[in-house]
Amino acid sequence: MAGKPMGKTLRTILRHWRLFAWMDLVWITRQPGFFLTYFVSDMLLALGTIATTFLLAARFEGIGPWSEPRVVFMLGYALLVRAVQDMFFGFNVAIISRRIGRGQLDHVLIQPHPVWLTLLTEGFVPFSGAMALIPGAALVLWAARQLALHPAALWLGLAAINLLASCAITLAFSFLWGSVAYWAPRAAEEISSAAMSIMREISPFPLDGLGPIWLGGLLTALPTGFVAWYPCRALLGIDPAPYAPVVTPLAAVLLSGLAAIVFYRGLMHYGRVGSQRYLSFGHRR
Amino acid sequence: MALDDASAAAESSGWRPPRRSQPLPRITALVGSARRFYKTAAMAAAAYAGDSPWFPLDYLLRLARVVVLLSLWRTVLGGSHTVSGISTDAVLTYTLISEVFADILNCRTDLIMALWEGSITSFFLQPTRLVSQVVARTVGRWGFSLVFFSMPLLLASPALGVNPWPASPRAAVAFGVSLVLAAVIGFALEYLFLALIVALDQSPWGIEALRGALAMVLSGAVVPLALMPWGLGDVLAWLPYASMASAPLRLYTATGAPLTLILLQVGWAIILWAIALRAWQANREKLACYGG
Repeated sequence: MAGKPMGKTLRTILRHWRLFAWMDLVWITRQPGFFLTYFVSDMLLALGTIATTFLLAARFEGIGPWSEPRVVFMLGYALLVRAVQDMFFGFNVAIISRRIGRGQLDHVLIQPHPVWLTLLTEGFVPFSGAMALIPGAALVLWAARQLALHPAALWLGLAAINLLASCAITLAFSFLWGSVAYWAPRAAEEISSAAMSIMREISPFPLDGLGPIWLGGLLTALPTGFVAWYPCRALLGIDPAPYAPVVTPLAAVLLSGLAAIVFYRGLMHYGRVGSQRYLSFGHRR
Repeated sequence: MALDDASAAAESSGWRPPRRSQPLPRITALVGSARRFYKTAAMAAAAYAGDSPWFPLDYLLRLARVVVLLSLWRTVLGGSHTVSGISTDAVLTYTLISEVFADILNCRTDLIMALWEGSITSFFLQPTRLVSQVVARTVGRWGFSLVFFSMPLLLASPALGVNPWPASPRAAVAFGVSLVLAAVIGFALEYLFLALIVALDQSPWGIEALRGALAMVLSGAVVPLALMPWGLGDVLAWLPYASMASAPLRLYTATGAPLTLILLQVGWAIILWAIALRAWQANREKLACYGG
């Protein structure tokens, strides 16, 4: 597969996405009751995570340098990041430690594709995972109108790149911690969900009032500041530095690279020891 | 075998419940219950680190959240000393204490996750009542968090620039009473939602997510109800979620009328437990476990 031409790989990815989208649609139509319960409750949960910041902004007509529409833009952006993750990396791909810890990585390894391609495509659930997409898009559009944004193509391109970079940072953080499950499958089975919780729960808050130590920590060791706060500062011009719009993409490249190295090392370890899931002493037998 | 059938089978095999009319056996039974409660709570506390060895990550999230929230309050309240009758210092104390007692103010038990995993069957095999078992396990977990997160956070409060003390000794006593009542209401809601999930034959995940979202917004644990926009807090203050979190925190910071808040909590505790027990009695035979 390594020597496959790029066009052919792209076609494979699109074919897989179409296939998984179809299966997602079939699941919805077969169990509309279950789907509605999941969809509505997950949408409310997503809205619940941004409610605190929204209520504060509404009560005090903004938070520090963030006017009310700017806050709403950031909250919409945070929901869009969540939506992209939910739609493209469902079935525990984003919470990778569960797959590793439960021995389900074997299911990925037996596919006739590279691991990265399988992980990129088999979590695609564009319908059942779209619970944060509608409120996120609505908030961003409303805020853009209030802010009288007339975005040029360059701004739209930067916004799209930043959005993808924010998603990449969240996923990379999850994969980085999730790789621990290669060495401690039982103990670290849920570590990615703890990592994702940190990224998601802190992301809707403006971090401007924090001191340098905490702010530095939330942009490096716990890079939750890159999920919404920093990219929105850059896109809305709150941070006037000319390099501000490329900081999040750069951070995404660095963290993704680090996560890829650690994940690969874990995979090599897994290749030697395998999964103990189905052994007589396995924790999930 | 249905649960009632199991009880009937146990009685026909010679087992008899202890006679309650005589004082000595009754005292012995009470001591036995207390011992079982303590042992279950101790086991739950000891199992905490083993069951979720990455709990420090959860504590890190909680610490980060409280630091970010404190910075947000300082930003929005700025130089103003009082907003809607609450001083800036009281808001900061409210936020800190909300995180210190977060486990109790947002009372969650093992019950619904046990239903999700199918391990709820083991609850029915224990020689104790379901309620006391669940309460003991939950109190045990609270104890662990209290020692390893809440106490260190309280000790670190000077570094966060927050006064952790209650507004007065009277406020501390009222807070203690109110905290117990908040837990009683929280357990009732757990029981009620368990009955609801069984009755509707729905996935616990959906209803849990819905409940989490409601609690986050309605309870006033994060944003004091008096500081909510559009007069929302005036309405939410009468709901049971506010009695779970907002009421004790208002008493701690002396920003609410003690008698009204405690009476409201007592009222909700009675109503919710009456509904929860009735709903559970009506639906417990429908309980089905899958898990795996």
